[in-house]
Amino acid sequence: MEKNKIRGDIKIQNVNVYYRDNHAIKNVSMEIKQKHVTAFIGPSGCGKSTLLRCLNRMNDEIIGCKTTGTILWNDIDILSKDVDPVPLRRKVGMVFQKPNPFPKSIFDNIAYAPKIYGIKEKKKLEQIVEKSLKDAALFEEVGDRLGDSALSLSGGQQQRLCIARALAIEPEIILMDEPCSALDPIATAKIEDLINELKKNYTVIIVTHNMQQAARVSDNTGFFYLGELIEYGKTKQIFQSPKEELTEKYMTGRFG
Amino acid sequence: MISIILGKKPKLANEENPFSLKFNIKENLIVVLLFISASIAIIFSAAIIYTLFNGSFVFFSEVSILEFLTGTVWVPTEIFRAFGVLPLLSGTILIAGGALLISIPLGVSAALFLSEFASIKLRSFVKPIIEILAGIPSIVYGFFALIFISPIFRDNFGASYFNAASAIFAVAMMIMPIIISLSDDAMKAVPNHLRETSLALGATRWETSTKIVMPAASSGIIASILLGLARALGETMVVVLAAGSIAKLTLNPLDETMTMSAYIAKVATGDIPPGLAVSAGFAVGLLLFLITYVINTIASRIVIQIKTGASVKSKKKQDQKRNILVKILSKFRKAITRYLKIIREKLSKIIYKIFKPKPVSLTKRYWKQRIGITLIGGSIVIAAIFLVLLLGHVLSEGIGGINSTFLTSYPSWKPEKAGIFPVIMGSVYLMIMTLAFTAPLGVGAAIYLNEFAKDTRYTRFLRRIIQNLAGVPSIVFGLMGVTIFVTLFQFGPSLLSGSLILTIMALPIVVVATEEALKSVPDSFREAARGVGSTRWQVIRHHVLPNAAPGIMTGIILSISRAIGETAPILFIVSFFAKSAPSGIFDSFMALPAQIFYWTTQPKEEFHVLAASTIIILLIILLAMNAVAIIIRHRAQAKRDW
Repeated sequence: MEKNKIRGDIKIQNVNVYYRDNHAIKNVSMEIKQKHVTAFIGPSGCGKSTLLRCLNRMNDEIIGCKTTGTILWNDIDILSKDVDPVPLRRKVGMVFQKPNPFPKSIFDNIAYAPKIYGIKEKKKLEQIVEKSLKDAALFEEVGDRLGDSALSLSGGQQQRLCIARALAIEPEIILMDEPCSALDPIATAKIEDLINELKKNYTVIIVTHNMQQAARVSDNTGFFYLGELIEYGKTKQIFQSPKEELTEKYMTGRFG
Repeated sequence: MISIILGKKPKLANEENPFSLKFNIKENLIVVLLFISASIAIIFSAAIIYTLFNGSFVFFSEVSILEFLTGTVWVPTEIFRAFGVLPLLSGTILIAGGALLISIPLGVSAALFLSEFASIKLRSFVKPIIEILAGIPSIVYGFFALIFISPIFRDNFGASYFNAASAIFAVAMMIMPIIISLSDDAMKAVPNHLRETSLALGATRWETSTKIVMPAASSGIIASILLGLARALGETMVVVLAAGSIAKLTLNPLDETMTMSAYIAKVATGDIPPGLAVSAGFAVGLLLFLITYVINTIASRIVIQIKTGASVKSKKKQDQKRNILVKILSKFRKAITRYLKIIREKLSKIIYKIFKPKPVSLTKRYWKQRIGITLIGGSIVIAAIFLVLLLGHVLSEGIGGINSTFLTSYPSWKPEKAGIFPVIMGSVYLMIMTLAFTAPLGVGAAIYLNEFAKDTRYTRFLRRIIQNLAGVPSIVFGLMGVTIFVTLFQFGPSLLSGSLILTIMALPIVVVATEEALKSVPDSFREAARGVGSTRWQVIRHHVLPNAAPGIMTGIILSISRAIGETAPILFIVSFFAKSAPSGIFDSFMALPAQIFYWTTQPKEEFHVLAASTIIILLIILLAMNAVAIIIRHRAQAKRDW
């Protein structure tokens, strides 16, 4: 695998996203700190997931989606036409809303990405799988049955497996799109602990519906409404003394 | 290097950009190959259109179009030169219309019974049988019509030896499975809450199914009837065998008649003198093609409308809004409908005053339900009786003829010495070659359409072309094959030509089945694979294809089994006197369905026994393929954990 690390904050500048006629993201600019947890919050349909999906160019796959603006990462505009999303996604891992393991064994799920990058030796793959599972706090639970189908795991375990799968490609950034929305409170707590661990080595960006979760896990929070970034700052400040009236209304549940 | 050649040198913000777009030869080559395999359908369609227009051109340079379309006499010999298509058209309408008259009531009520009243057990038993019925080759129905149904009309109603009535019955049986299965799909697709609402208002199940479900599914039912009609119009083998070969402008079902497709088949078998009469076949083919094209287009529009919720119509309405003339017209129409409504309301008030309807008693309503269910349940029984008669007759006639001589010797003039060894081999080779062409092309096209194609004008065009290809009457493929492959490409009447023709026929079915299988793979697999940095081809190769494989294989097997049962398209090129099995792709060949046709047309009774025995062999092969497909599907469903 490539050794060169990409460091630095992510500078989102004047990003607009259109789905056909729908203007989903309106001129958003923000700076995301490396090795911090940043949370995107807001009511559904506010564009937070859309912005998240810009960071690994997942929106490319949606027919009729158009993105303008720049996202600078280590002085590279990752929205540029010259950037190939495939190697980009190696550096920007993603965890989806619903756990989506491949219908393969636990081992093959995690070893899949290293394999397609050309790692063939069994030993090395085993190391990667073990390390990723340990980093995702799943090794103790499934370490003795790596050959089992990933679909035999519980929902919470599946989601941690998906995190392990994302870690196996040694990304710099991990995107999480409402990773706990399909999980019960106990599984959610485990994932939140995991996020706290992950931020030592990774830049984590999480989209969440759950404001308590944002408050518990994130360092910075951005509040989105109707495609606009209303307020962005330290999580503490956003939750305790929001500057915008709209943010405060949303926080206190007096919306609309 | 390549990027420089293509003038696509990426401009980098930072020379050490690790994400810079590189030209990936393998990926791009694959996409190009997939694109080509999808686009080949256009070439095929162009070949068909070229064939029909080119052949007709010769004809219409001698006979005026007006004479062709309005003439009432069809005697295509050099001396008479009467080329009026109306007798052929009337024969086609008589047979297709008669078949619809039988199959619409039976088919729709059978579908209603299956969808609304049959128990799950009965349904799961009847559905596969209908699927198998739809897969029985038309030559079998043709044999049945001539040998079994025709004598009934001859003995009881004084019909001539060849008569339209027997063909009508056989064609009705043939299109019934199409109508049943598509109408059933349409009624099953009616959301359940509509039924529940109706039942909760105190309607009986009979009232619910006839007054709520059937109207809600009406466009699907109409589409199924239209598809059945298109199939009946293009049907060749039944008509050639049972209806005769005299073109008469008559609607008497007991009389002999000829259809458009039958005339083309006569051209194919060489019963027509060469010259203008042969090129007349192309003109008839063109007319048949245009008629079925129109019907299929209407049917597919209706189907799309059902699937997407009337989007076709609404789009059209948007277009209409721009046109002022249309605007005025629509205002006019609205006014008329308003007046009609007022008149209707007044009429119903008057009727109410005169008759004063009393509330219907519950017992009466229940009786209605009982009678209704019995009647539509009876239609299933009638269809089942037909099936049992058909198979039973063929079995009892042909089973005695199957012995080692029959399986290992060659076709002969002496029935007791005749066998079908080279014919079986011919069909097997034909099957293998068709498979070798169809599978990569069809799967490639489906992958391109489902995974790579954006929603452009070209993609929509491609989809329409493939859909239209599926609706072309099979005899027209024969015309195209003989013009393009045999003559233009100089492949001769060979295995290669035959398998290419069947490939074009099977292609649309494989594409549709493969797309269905690809769509059944959840998008979350694709997203997950992309999320860890797979290239587009890796996503397909590692995740989509393995999970769609059982569905794809089932689709391929079923379409191939459909193709090798076809007689009409290869009628032009098979050699009726095969003395040896083909040993190369340019060798001449004979296939099972064509052999059945040949033996059925022989006057001697013994040859009919041989035909029945051959039918049994053909049905065994087709059923075995269907069984394999069902097993694959079943296993995959049991194993599937997503």
